[in-house]
Amino acid sequence: MTSEAILSVRNVTKRFGGRGDFIARGLSRIGLAQPNAVVHAVEDVSFDLHKGEVLGVVGESGCGKSTLGRMVAGLLDPSEGEIIAKASGANTGALPMQMIFQDPFSSLNPRKRVFDLIGEAPRVHGIVPSEKLDAYVADMMERCGVDGNYRDRFAHQFSGGQRQRIGIARALAVRPEILVCDEAVSALDVSIQAQIVNLFMDLRDELGLTYIFISHDLGVVEHISDRILVMYLGRIVESGPAQQIFADPQHPYTRALIDGVPRLERRRTVYAPIIGDIPSPIDPPKGCHFHPRCPLAQLQCKVERPALRDIGGGRQAACHLIETTAKKEFSIG
Amino acid sequence: MTTVLDVNDLHTSFVTPGLTIAALQGVSLSVGKGEILGLVGESGSGKTLTGFSINRLLSPPGRVVQGQVLLHGHDVLTLGQEEMRQLRGRRIAMIFQDPMMTLNPVLRIETQIRDALRAHEKMSKAVARKRAIAALDEVGIPAPESRLRSYPHELSGGMRQRVAIAIALLHQPDVIIADEPTTALDVTIQGQILSLVQGLCRDRGTALIWITHDLAVVAGIADRLAVMYAGRVVEVGPVDDLLDAPAHPYTRGLIDSVPARGQRGQRLKQIPGRMPSLTELPTGCSFAPRCEHARAACAALPDMTALGPDRSVRCFFPLAEGSA
Repeated sequence: MTSEAILSVRNVTKRFGGRGDFIARGLSRIGLAQPNAVVHAVEDVSFDLHKGEVLGVVGESGCGKSTLGRMVAGLLDPSEGEIIAKASGANTGALPMQMIFQDPFSSLNPRKRVFDLIGEAPRVHGIVPSEKLDAYVADMMERCGVDGNYRDRFAHQFSGGQRQRIGIARALAVRPEILVCDEAVSALDVSIQAQIVNLFMDLRDELGLTYIFISHDLGVVEHISDRILVMYLGRIVESGPAQQIFADPQHPYTRALIDGVPRLERRRTVYAPIIGDIPSPIDPPKGCHFHPRCPLAQLQCKVERPALRDIGGGRQAACHLIETTAKKEFSIG
Repeated sequence: MTTVLDVNDLHTSFVTPGLTIAALQGVSLSVGKGEILGLVGESGSGKTLTGFSINRLLSPPGRVVQGQVLLHGHDVLTLGQEEMRQLRGRRIAMIFQDPMMTLNPVLRIETQIRDALRAHEKMSKAVARKRAIAALDEVGIPAPESRLRSYPHELSGGMRQRVAIAIALLHQPDVIIADEPTTALDVTIQGQILSLVQGLCRDRGTALIWITHDLAVVAGIADRLAVMYAGRVVEVGPVDDLLDAPAHPYTRGLIDSVPARGQRGQRLKQIPGRMPSLTELPTGCSFAPRCEHARAACAALPDMTALGPDRSVRCFFPLAEGSA
């Protein structure tokens, strides 16, 4: 990726819970209540997003991928660290970032007609003069594959796939440069999912969009992403170009995750899953978060948190063991 | 292989005074001892309804209007309520998608397992407790004795699903119907459940019907697949034949819609349109409006035609091997 970063995320941490309100603090001080637990949903995450790329964020539930997406989209403020967007600003009034949500049933206002769902934001932000709004909304609907004749219908009158298209048209209407897609195809049927994935790829080519594509579905992420972040319990455990990560995962968790994905060409597989449950983010294991489930864990992993290090080829991983193997290779070469 | 469960021309409808919706229109399936049958379809295809019809869990206005469900040759649809109660859980067990929904939130795990045990067998509390510990141990729950005291909300999703599986296996049923049991779970947990269920069914010779929307999941564990579309089975066959050389255009479309390795960034092949609503099904082949191979003859309804031993398809113009 030669172009410069349009979004920089630097050491971002998000904590939930903690102090609580005035009364809760008072009660805990006089010993009448337990202080609230603090959840580190996202811990010290940094990455750059380059123009025109698709960054896939994968991980299991509780890994902080949605929280990260919401912080990037500006829906949540980070507790620490900063998110710097370098939007070009060429489009007057355009909003640089938009989000597309998982559930097209609950993310569209049920009392608004399609025309208002898509057209309200560009009108309010003055992106399109009101006399051109009709044509603008019609264009957005056509681009996203929604029949223009349905502009006066309500969201509940559409199928799941059509509703997701309306959600995409709504997001695109303010001419964003970055789209954060949080599980945007997960709730859809397979055949509809393919239609929406194709739509995302077409829009990227036509409009030069940049995506952060958050999903637990590794098949879809592998298909659409240029670069991937793998997260586990709030931390990035591995990042790098999608092709290399899927071909040759370095972190034991990434390996387990990729091996665990059922695939059409894997018949009558005997699954050899990694053991144990995902620990609670309220009380994550010390040292490397993954060590209780890791088949390779050693003493060091239990006490010392592995830093995210470059391991060559534009890739990074947070694992003590990779570091030693990399050193070995260096000493040999 | 002996056939354990044989479903013959099953029709299920939702009958209301004004409107009758035919949701299942002639579903036929069979599953043998120790066999895993994958039942695949998108939402609205009737796959869950098939499971519910077999186990007679339909609530009005839904009812089976025609067909047979033969368990070892006996039709369970003719049984009375009490006989069915005896059968359910003992001979036919079910595992559901969301274990939060199937486990009682206000009862301890021990109570729930004990109730399930004593519903079909007379035994003392102490014996039931031993059986419960053994059952939890078998599905890989660590420290089963202390887990018996837990309530469902104290367990993780994967653990809850293990408890549900343990309860389904209590009476060594002949058939287990698993309705999307791993859909709500994370990838690594899904792997654990898949390997568990696979191992248990193989060891005990339990027949398993695995209902899912995810072809890739059943590709890994099933012996045979049945693909459903709009209330009918459109293709049946051994998993390798069916996935390598699908004969029905819908099966082909489903396979192509799944992102495959080594095709990164390419357009996915998509099936145009969407599944028709059950109230406005086309009269002929229900897939014809979305099918690129549809011809005039498709205005009539095709029957299941045998393509070979254990392989049949509901299409006038089945795809030849190798064509796309």
